[in-house]
Amino acid sequence: MDKIIRVALAGNTNVGKSVIFNYLTGLHQHIGNWPGKTVEKAEGTLHFKGYNIDVIDLPGVYSLSPYSLEEQITRNYIVHEKPDVLINVVDASVLERNLYFTLQLMELGRPMIIALNQIDIARKKGIDIDVEKMEKILGIPVIPTIATKGVGIFQLLEKLIDTYRRGATNRGNYIKFRKIIEDRIEKLVNMLESRGFHYPARYAAIKLLEGDEEIENEIKKLDVEIVNVAKKLAGEIEKITGRPCHEVIISERYEAASKIASEVERPVFSTRPKLTDRLHEVTTHRVWGYITMISLLVLIFYSVFSLGGYFSELLNILFYNSLEIFFLKLFESGIIGKLLWGSAEGVIAALTVALPYILPLYFILYLLEDSGYISRVAFLMDTAMHKMGLHGKAFIPLLLGFGCNVPACIGCRILETERERLIAVFVVTLVPCAAETVIILSLVGKYLGFQWALLLYLFNLLIILILGRFAFKILPGEPTALIMEMHEYRVPHLKTVLKQTWFRFYEFIKIAFPLIILGSTLIKAIEAFGLLQPLSIMFSPIIVDWLGLPMITGITLLFGILRKELTVILLSTLFGTTNLIEVPGFGPINMIVFTVVAMFYIPCISTIAALVKEIGWKKALMISLFELLFAIGLGGIIYRVLTLFI
Amino acid sequence: MSIGEASKRRVPLSALREGESGTVISILKGPGRGRRHGSARCIMEMGLTPGTKVVMISSAPFHGPVVIDVRGSRLAIGRGIAERIIVEIDEKNG
Repeated sequence: MDKIIRVALAGNTNVGKSVIFNYLTGLHQHIGNWPGKTVEKAEGTLHFKGYNIDVIDLPGVYSLSPYSLEEQITRNYIVHEKPDVLINVVDASVLERNLYFTLQLMELGRPMIIALNQIDIARKKGIDIDVEKMEKILGIPVIPTIATKGVGIFQLLEKLIDTYRRGATNRGNYIKFRKIIEDRIEKLVNMLESRGFHYPARYAAIKLLEGDEEIENEIKKLDVEIVNVAKKLAGEIEKITGRPCHEVIISERYEAASKIASEVERPVFSTRPKLTDRLHEVTTHRVWGYITMISLLVLIFYSVFSLGGYFSELLNILFYNSLEIFFLKLFESGIIGKLLWGSAEGVIAALTVALPYILPLYFILYLLEDSGYISRVAFLMDTAMHKMGLHGKAFIPLLLGFGCNVPACIGCRILETERERLIAVFVVTLVPCAAETVIILSLVGKYLGFQWALLLYLFNLLIILILGRFAFKILPGEPTALIMEMHEYRVPHLKTVLKQTWFRFYEFIKIAFPLIILGSTLIKAIEAFGLLQPLSIMFSPIIVDWLGLPMITGITLLFGILRKELTVILLSTLFGTTNLIEVPGFGPINMIVFTVVAMFYIPCISTIAALVKEIGWKKALMISLFELLFAIGLGGIIYRVLTLFI
Repeated sequence: MSIGEASKRRVPLSALREGESGTVISILKGPGRGRRHGSARCIMEMGLTPGTKVVMISSAPFHGPVVIDVRGSRLAIGRGIAERIIVEIDEKNG
């Protein structure tokens, strides 16, 4: 039997962790979520020199204090799962900041090696690093790597095996604080050591002095006295230094990181073509930044929509022409055949959205993210997002929402607090997705003119702003602000981007497909059992009396829950004409009302599924119900207002 | 140095002009409490401890966030936080 080594990758965000992870594990990886959390968990395995190496890619974080879910997960994993070896991925071009995290990792006392990554970018910045000196100061093996080119990966693995074999414990391998702190840490360590606390004693002692509530609570269960002593000791430090104890400790750690960085960094002639700097300046410029962003977004959406629309149409024709005949031949037109065809239609529906729109959008988004552009967009959009109590990063899922609300809901995970995620998913479900854009264009755009379509689009954005602000005001809690590192622009690593795209896409399929298929079958069943007519009569008080729409539109709206563009497609089928303006009782006003209702009335079934996954079924139900009532209410009001004026 | 002069040189980070540098003096408490994202402690853990040098790189319009250089890295910081970070403007900036 091969020996198993459990390895965890840890480091700041955007240091190339996932590239190293991909290099190590290749195709043998599994990406899911941390149990009960919405943070991505990537695991993989590889064989090397007779060892089975299990690798886990921990979330990218800046500290081991639990400010965010990611930080909690990283800390808990290392403390509770005790990986055999930690690989700390360090960005050589931002050494000081990265070392701050390294020093904290060392406090956890696990065997550790450092992958000093992006040494090429560092060199371009004019920084060369004395690896041997760094090893000596830290007492940890340091392997220089350029992960995007696979440089140093083999050496990293060899060092990993070596570290494991030697059974390095990494005890006593840490940076010392100044005496007034060190003495007090020692006192706490003595109290803690005999108690069998699952955190390393030194780490727990430091965190107690820093006032880490999570660890305080855990130790309270063990012995309240220790926490009391820690509070007293922290008070002493505050008295001596005149500063809060946590501030003293954070400062000291940063000072140590700074000192190490300055000792190992050797300035070299900078070969940096100032291009990345220029690019940063332009893309964050108060005028050019926005112009660049808007042009880029228009270009992306225009090409995805036009090419995607064409491709989607092609797929539709292909599936319907070939499959429908085949199906009906196979099952005749019996009830089973109809139901099965319903399911097949569901698959087709899902595919014609997923392949032409979502896949390319994901790819472009992750390409931009890996290059570093997305953080610039977050920067530019921070002010606007603040109006809804969100910060710049929330613009990213919102953007995805214009393609499809499902990945957008999943994308809201990047936000720090539950409150923000809730506001963000709510706002996202109001964003007009590709299907809703089809409705706007093929109804209002086609019959009333493009300017009306544009007006409706702007109206939608206004509603998003108003409802977003409304949600922000009624939800308790404080908005969080943006703090984000903007790393150097770099050429995206295609393999990593493709992998990320694929896993996200796969996740979308898993959420959306079953429900679309189920929903399609169900609606076919309703149709097959002749329930359409009774249902539309049932809806008529709302549809006819309140919204002033033809009775039959109630059915199309019901189908629209599956996929929104069905509302328009079915209109032609049910009215029996492709020139909808000829239909009596479906004039310009009715078209506008119908479109507004279709835009807002409920998230589609796949989006509801994504909502359930992200925020739980109760809140998902509340959002859906709210939007249903809101859309009906709004539609009725618009109907009355417009009839008054026109 | 009179008090007036001293207070003139101490400004919120957000008041630095592009290219101007300063030293972090303190971080004012934000809304809410405890260890959360955006708390003074979290800001310090991102490298903005008192005594740290910062350089203003750029700021977004309409009361937007700022980009600063701190510890060799580029940080984007929301205006709300930037207003809570008190810095002393370096002499050489004039």
